[in-house]
Amino acid sequence: MSAQKLPAEFADLEPFLDWALATERERTGKRLASSLEDIQAFYDHMSARVEAAMAYLNAFPLDTLPPEAERLFHLSLSLMEVANAVEMFQNPAVINGFDVKRFAPVEDV
Amino acid sequence: MRTVIADKRWAEKYPEIGTGPVAAEPLISQEHFELEREKIFRRTWLNIGRVEEIPNPGDYIAKDLTMCRASVLIIRGRDGEVRGFHNVCSHRGNKLVWDEKGTCKGTLTCGFHAWAYNTKGELTWVPDEDNFFDLPKCDLGLTPIHTEVFEGFIFIHLAERPPESLREYLGGVADQLEGGGFGELALAKRYRVDEHANWKIALDAQNELYHLPFQHRRTIPEFCVLKDGQFTRLLDVRLFNHHSVYSSDPPEDRVGPATEKLAARFSVAETESRLPRIGSFDFYTIFPNMALLLFRGVSHDFYMSYNFWPQAVDRTDWDIKIYFRPAENAGQRVGQEYFTCLLRDLLQEDATAHEQIHIGLASRAKKELYFQDEEMQIRYFHTVLDRFYAEA
Repeated sequence: MSAQKLPAEFADLEPFLDWALATERERTGKRLASSLEDIQAFYDHMSARVEAAMAYLNAFPLDTLPPEAERLFHLSLSLMEVANAVEMFQNPAVINGFDVKRFAPVEDV
Repeated sequence: MRTVIADKRWAEKYPEIGTGPVAAEPLISQEHFELEREKIFRRTWLNIGRVEEIPNPGDYIAKDLTMCRASVLIIRGRDGEVRGFHNVCSHRGNKLVWDEKGTCKGTLTCGFHAWAYNTKGELTWVPDEDNFFDLPKCDLGLTPIHTEVFEGFIFIHLAERPPESLREYLGGVADQLEGGGFGELALAKRYRVDEHANWKIALDAQNELYHLPFQHRRTIPEFCVLKDGQFTRLLDVRLFNHHSVYSSDPPEDRVGPATEKLAARFSVAETESRLPRIGSFDFYTIFPNMALLLFRGVSHDFYMSYNFWPQAVDRTDWDIKIYFRPAENAGQRVGQEYFTCLLRDLLQEDATAHEQIHIGLASRAKKELYFQDEEMQIRYFHTVLDRFYAEA
């Protein structure tokens, strides 16, 4: 069994695997715990790869993604999570944002 | 070039609503909160959820309505019917169901002494029944609550005899939304916001677009952007008996950030959903505490609902639900995630402001509030509140 974490053609995303998180709560937590520099690095790299990732992932049924494809899927969701931090706030958190513990996702995915 | 639209159109359309300042006191006073408890929340139809939350016989949702001092149980019977009951055991008054959502195999059993009820609310089992004295078991079912469904939205009415049916209560809103295909969309995200603000402050702050270019200058700077010295104008405002809707169209030349453009490409779907929209964005206030938001999405229409549940005069449980057509592939799901993250971050800006407004008004520094014509629907909401406060 190979230890391959991502589909072979997306091996360049391996340094960002800690962004492969299954739930919104985790993705928001990672965004808020990261520096803007780290977010920007992930954003820059992932933005350039996300269209290729979608083309790859759309070949699978959404509910039966193989583990390495699922990680790629979760990386793509994390890009959506951090996009506003880069494009709108230039800050990890929402400027004048709300305590995320009191603005909680329910039935978290 | 934008068409220049006349000012003060809505006051002209609805002159009876008036144009004067509105009292601030009802937004912060305990006295009005108690009036709302007795004269509004116990006398109007309240939205509890949607039928998709209880798809199968035996599925139920339970909700504590702090404002009504009641706990409500909505259950789908084995016959498929949706029924509402007080979530209270007939034996000693214990709360029957303690979780907010669940399913049963035809029987709900009280945790205190195991009195059991079927999905029609009938009492079916009492342990050690022979040791009771003339127990009128047939009369000891769960106490029913008037429950009606409109387009999949489940509403309850706590009065013994509601003065009108749900359909009558919704009136013009129902005319507009009937046959809307809401059931084709599914809950994609839900947020519960624990706000330290009055429920009406939260609702009022959502019930207009005047604030968009200012409060949301970072998130959606191109929405309702001011150009050529002209402020944007709503497409339509309609006032119904108790309720209202305002509609708008976004600027045609809006570009949006890079990831939004990507997300729009991912989101392309084969199947379209079309809701009965008036503009690109419609905001219904369904009195007293519900809002329904219809959007023209990038691939298909989608909608959101808000339920503002008062917990105390200065505390609100803002329940936000976002409904999309279920994603058929990863691209659509990722595209939806972009838009839900955008809405969430933007609503965070609002939630923060709701609390600051409450602090401001609670100081009683300001006795009256001035609404402009584009805030007509808020003025109307307060007119409806006044009507209910004044009831016997």
